[in-house]
Amino acid sequence: MSIQFKSISELRTMLDEKLISPLELTQESHQLAKKFKDLNCFVTMNEDFSNKKAGAIDLEKENNSSLLGIPLAQKDLFCTEGLRTTCSSKILSNFFPPYTATAVKKLEDAGSITIGKTNMDEFAMGSSNETSFFGNVHNPWRKGYVPGGSSGGSAAAVAAGIVPAATGTDTGGSIRQPAAHCGITGLKPTYGRISRWGMIAFASSLDQAGPLARTAEDCAILLNTMSGHDPKDTTSLNIEVPDFLSKLNEPIKGLKIGIIKEFNLSDLDEEVQARFEESIKVYEKLGAEFVDVSLPNISASVPTYYSIAPAECSSNLSRFDGVRFGHRAQDTDDLNDLYIKSRSEGFGDEVKRRILIGTYALSAGYYDAYYKKAQQVRRLIKNDFDHVFELVDILMTPTSPSTAFEFGSKGTQNPVELYLEDLFTISSNLAGLPAISIPHGQVNSLPVGLQLIGNFLREDQLLNVAHIFQQNTEFHLAKPNMENFK
Amino acid sequence: MDQETVSTICYLARLQIEKNKSEKIKQDLETIIELIGSLQKIDTSSIDPLYSPLEMTALTHEDVEKSDNKKDKFLENSALSNEDYFLVPRVVE
Repeated sequence: MSIQFKSISELRTMLDEKLISPLELTQESHQLAKKFKDLNCFVTMNEDFSNKKAGAIDLEKENNSSLLGIPLAQKDLFCTEGLRTTCSSKILSNFFPPYTATAVKKLEDAGSITIGKTNMDEFAMGSSNETSFFGNVHNPWRKGYVPGGSSGGSAAAVAAGIVPAATGTDTGGSIRQPAAHCGITGLKPTYGRISRWGMIAFASSLDQAGPLARTAEDCAILLNTMSGHDPKDTTSLNIEVPDFLSKLNEPIKGLKIGIIKEFNLSDLDEEVQARFEESIKVYEKLGAEFVDVSLPNISASVPTYYSIAPAECSSNLSRFDGVRFGHRAQDTDDLNDLYIKSRSEGFGDEVKRRILIGTYALSAGYYDAYYKKAQQVRRLIKNDFDHVFELVDILMTPTSPSTAFEFGSKGTQNPVELYLEDLFTISSNLAGLPAISIPHGQVNSLPVGLQLIGNFLREDQLLNVAHIFQQNTEFHLAKPNMENFK
Repeated sequence: MDQETVSTICYLARLQIEKNKSEKIKQDLETIIELIGSLQKIDTSSIDPLYSPLEMTALTHEDVEKSDNKKDKFLENSALSNEDYFLVPRVVE
């Protein structure tokens, strides 16, 4: 029986009924990764170690974790002890971390098997996976098209059915947008819900880890394990974590869903708009009520983000100096020359662009005008959300203004064109709110995503509302034809 | 933005841009600065900046000694080190 396209829940049943052993499951996952290597969704495989770990699992004796023996892929931004971690950058192309990120360690301690590290936009800076040092990832739905970014490799590996789920990180939409473009489910939790320790930092006040999976139910399984306080991350919330699985299947009659007036959906592609209207009808049939709401400052989200994120990135990425880890340039005159040459050879163009913008925004004379100003607007945006969540339970938008696009077709002349891909997703990072993308049909045979934004720490409600949609529709069951990748 | 400003920012960021890319970088920076400059029209005169969505003070922990010294592993990741130190070009004569 093939394991391809199976959810965690389905694989759990196969394991429990002894239709497959943990070792066979891991081996099959590796076989699929090899069969579809043209997708380029993995940077590094973990075959020997994962087979050894899977082979040692005794289902009779060990804990009853839902993840025991389940193969997963980890975004190559999470440090994994002894397993190369590159952030898809030349500067880290030979980096072997001395420790494992807390989020990944929790998944591995629960018995899951890390089969490999997934390709991504370099340092998570991008919306198309085209900035990776290791080359583009193909969208499983159409060769030569982007999978979205920055967690593009994770999204493609799940969409192709190689693994049932993968980790990602989301700084401005990097879980939700690739999930939408690849026709899978992706959750960005509340800021502070999951430890960031061991995640290679891009923008520390926006970065958040989360799951990409075939269903909202599987996202709940992963979130249950990944969440929780970690003393090693000072921004990790020290609060009780609910059992997200037990909160699924709650009726949604009377649920108030807000539609954001400022997002002028009539400007979107007609078909993208049509899918959105159809999803409104699905929720209306299930008893939800729709309310038009106003977030007056939300249209400032993109410029706010592109001031804050590069500023934090320029600070975080100053640690890459060629001295302690990462690429070191040869033939340097002095220490300063070593820094300059190592960084210039090691970083790609988009990363350099963002470091330069951030350096400019933080430099003397511009700090107040750009960085502080953006943080003030950020508060206005958060205040808007606080106000709206007094009126509605959840907000609903398309995840992305368009479907996946062809390699090289956006952002090459003007980087801002690609930045607008994140129009609908960025504001929840600025406000720290949880948000999920679920598949809700196709446009021109490519998947499109529906985004639901929840109130602070209300992943339980968000996952339930997404789960109810998936119980009443079949969009999440659609599979790409993988013939082109053999 | 002129090329001199671009050169200054590049130096501050310890980055060197190839000559054939410097004009494109200048244009890209101008475009992005124009984008973020659009925030100037929003009135924020009485608004405090929001530096983190949690608005909480970073947690602290007891300063206790731990035994997990991973010095060797950390040094292994350096392109050049000896048994105790990362090695860099000479900085004092």
